[in-house]
Amino acid sequence: MMLLVSLMAFWISASAPGDPVEILTNSGTAQGSSNNISVKKDIKDSLRNKLGLNKPLFYFSLNSLAECDTLHKIYDKLTRNTLSRLTAKYGNWKEIHAYYTAILNLQQKSLSLSADTLLLRCAADSADLMQKDEVNNSLNQIINETNSLLHTYEHNFIQTKIDSIKNIIYDQNYLNCFKAEADNLSESYMQMIANSTGWKNYVPVVRWHGLNSQYHQWLKNILLKGDFGISYTDGQPVITKIWNKFLLSSRLIIISIFLAYLISIPIGIASARRRGSWFEKTTGTILFMLYSLPGFFAGTMLLYWFANPDHWVWFPEGGSQPIDIDLSQMNFFERFAYQWPYMVLPIITYTYSSFAFISRIIRVSMLEVLSQDYIRTARAKGLSDNRVIYKHALRNALLPVITLFVNIFPAAVGGSVILETIFNYSGMGLAGFDAIRNYDYPMIVSLFTLSGFMTMIAYFVADLLYAFVDPRISY
Amino acid sequence: MKKNKKHIINTEPAEANLFSYRKYAFTQFKKNKPAWYASWLLCLIIFIALFASFIANDQPIYAKYRGKNFYPVFSQHWLIKSIFNTNAVDSTINPETGYWEKIQFDITDWRTLELEKVIWAPIPYSPHKQDIYNNDFASPRSKQYMKNAQGKIVESPWFFRHHLGTDALGRDVLSGLIHGTKVSLLVGFFSVIIAAIIGVFLGSMAGYFGDNRIKISRASFWFSVLGIIPAYFYAFHVRRFVIADAFADKIWWGCVQLLFSLFIFCAIVYLFYKAGTLLKNRFFAKQVSLPVDSIVSRSIELLNSLPRLILIITVSAIIKERSLLILVIIIGFTSWTEIARFVRAELLKVRVLDYITAAKASGLSNRQIILKHALPNALAPVFVTVAFGMASAILIESGLSFLGIGVPEEMVTWGSMLNAGRQEFDAWWMIVFPGMAIFITITIYNLIGEGLRDALDPKLKN
Repeated sequence: MMLLVSLMAFWISASAPGDPVEILTNSGTAQGSSNNISVKKDIKDSLRNKLGLNKPLFYFSLNSLAECDTLHKIYDKLTRNTLSRLTAKYGNWKEIHAYYTAILNLQQKSLSLSADTLLLRCAADSADLMQKDEVNNSLNQIINETNSLLHTYEHNFIQTKIDSIKNIIYDQNYLNCFKAEADNLSESYMQMIANSTGWKNYVPVVRWHGLNSQYHQWLKNILLKGDFGISYTDGQPVITKIWNKFLLSSRLIIISIFLAYLISIPIGIASARRRGSWFEKTTGTILFMLYSLPGFFAGTMLLYWFANPDHWVWFPEGGSQPIDIDLSQMNFFERFAYQWPYMVLPIITYTYSSFAFISRIIRVSMLEVLSQDYIRTARAKGLSDNRVIYKHALRNALLPVITLFVNIFPAAVGGSVILETIFNYSGMGLAGFDAIRNYDYPMIVSLFTLSGFMTMIAYFVADLLYAFVDPRISY
Repeated sequence: MKKNKKHIINTEPAEANLFSYRKYAFTQFKKNKPAWYASWLLCLIIFIALFASFIANDQPIYAKYRGKNFYPVFSQHWLIKSIFNTNAVDSTINPETGYWEKIQFDITDWRTLELEKVIWAPIPYSPHKQDIYNNDFASPRSKQYMKNAQGKIVESPWFFRHHLGTDALGRDVLSGLIHGTKVSLLVGFFSVIIAAIIGVFLGSMAGYFGDNRIKISRASFWFSVLGIIPAYFYAFHVRRFVIADAFADKIWWGCVQLLFSLFIFCAIVYLFYKAGTLLKNRFFAKQVSLPVDSIVSRSIELLNSLPRLILIITVSAIIKERSLLILVIIIGFTSWTEIARFVRAELLKVRVLDYITAAKASGLSNRQIILKHALPNALAPVFVTVAFGMASAILIESGLSFLGIGVPEEMVTWGSMLNAGRQEFDAWWMIVFPGMAIFITITIYNLIGEGLRDALDPKLKN
């Protein structure tokens, strides 16, 4: 079960758009604005090695005969896409690879040569005095065209691009040194079209990568080291980042679920006891309204009334603790004294929806139990009403509520996204939402896995409670 | 003659006494006053959603200008446009200059024209139209201004007021609420339909067949499992760029391609299954049971253990394309578990009943038994879940738009209006009215769900 969740989470992170290394290098080395491309490339390569992104994704892969098994080593997702599209069309990886290297050669050469060196050469060759920016211009044009070739897969576009590169090169005398590469490029492209083996695309091949795969490494890190990877946004380890948020969130969730049960059980019992009275009718209506009231609406309204200078400023507008006071030195109670005002409104919003739900369920199950024969027997024996209700009926009426516990827990975790966003409470939900907005996939994945894990715990707790409430069940 | 009459008399009471479950449920539902009124309110909301562009529109329904008749509202919708053959552009002769002047319906401010006759929509604003005279959160109670036909800026008469205020860009809140109804109802309706199809199918398979009622030969089983590999290959791997291109082109076309791929997948697996039945060897032909119930139950548990909202947010973040269709599909595909659970539980009860055994004995196929005999008796909880499911789908949609993800940015929905209100606390009308709209709609669905449950399942009625 957990394995399935982790598989799903991993699949999500793998199919996510955006290159993690790009994001990491952009966010990490923002201060050191080294424009040296080769240094950057080295950093990226080492990062890739560290993250294991140069490995195949999974234990095995299903490809066609035409595709090469090392495509995952090309990092740029757009280039990879182009190459695999070309493969899907022509089905001859050898020729496509030749074409790809031809593009890369041309690119390398055009990047390595500057206008000055070209000018120097042509000064020796021809008498014309070249304008420097003109040379620069055509050089840039070549670079642009070759770059865009890496992302082009449609025949017409490739043809025109190659033609235009050739035109530029053959037009100008000083670009003579590119002739070989350009010819090579168009030649390899011709070869690719001429020797197309499209049938290879229809032959499936299963390739076995063994343990040397990204998923294996990922799973190993989690299971053995508890390492969920590093966050893309700031390079911090995810697990430490999440743990604090998790504590903040779970505090809210646990308190509010506890409160919800605490309030709803008496209400449910009372409304079941006084069936048909005005008490039952009014509480029924109110509970129904609360049950239908969307949490984000209620939360916003609470903020509007109780954290708004125009009305009352009873509670802070958002956040999880005062910004200007350092809480790390204090003990638990002192810290709590500062933190509780931030928790009141979120807890109210969390609690009301679940307690409305729970007390309605308790009422129904209580009514069902009260109509049973053994309750009538207990009454006939002359037991007091309280004794009948609390001693005989309550335990049985609580059974469906325990099942609810399993459902309420994931709902609370999911609902925390919206509520924590409203109250700007920096718990797990807000962290998850930020992660999703910033495409921080290690964060999302670990959040996913963690909430699945917590639901498992909820299942376990529910089982224990079952055994506690119902003596017929034993383990 | 006499005989004939007697015959009629005899049949009538017999028909009247015939207990009709449907009729009984309907009268029960009708007796439940809140639910009954709620269903009328739902009809009203559906009406508003259907005729939203006639109720709230900044273009008049009918206008006479310079002696010419215009029907601008009718020209907005492609269907009406094709029926009435109206254009969104027309031209008139300016009597002063004598030149033709073009009127493009959607960008013309009709209120500034000197119209001879006009029938406005009841709320003369469109949800997207920005009102430059009342922008930056015009309150419902404050003074509002407009440019009249003489080109002067005057205080708006009652009819042209923004009765529920405007947002930062001067878009009318009431009009947004009315057009937001469409989004909410559409999402609720179609995502629940998807969920119901998946849920009823999987639930009935799991409930009826259980873990050991589908018996296939060992060879078929392993052949089918093996067949998944080539099936996946030919259906999805080979066609992956076709599907991607189709999605980039039009989303519905992408869905069609995806369905086609799914068809190929099933066909190939079926071929392998058939090939497996050909093996008559004693080892290969041994019957093994297919644990349908376990598979379905496990996947229900799996889906339930993931927080649904986080799952939906994650998926919609991966699919960067924001569209209503994708949102509907995601919600549908994540909310079938409840329905499947109920159908499974019902069918587990029904399948051991005598009439099912009788149907089997009379030689009906499994498909006939499930569709004609077992499912109709298990559908009552499905209706109830569908009503509650619509409420939760609407809640999810508005929650997502509240967070600013899900529906396209330019689409005005209740959730996105509430989100805009959250940014600007002074504009209480941006919080209260959209919030109330969501609240009322969800209450209606919940009331109907309750009513249906009480009516359809007499056991639960207390």
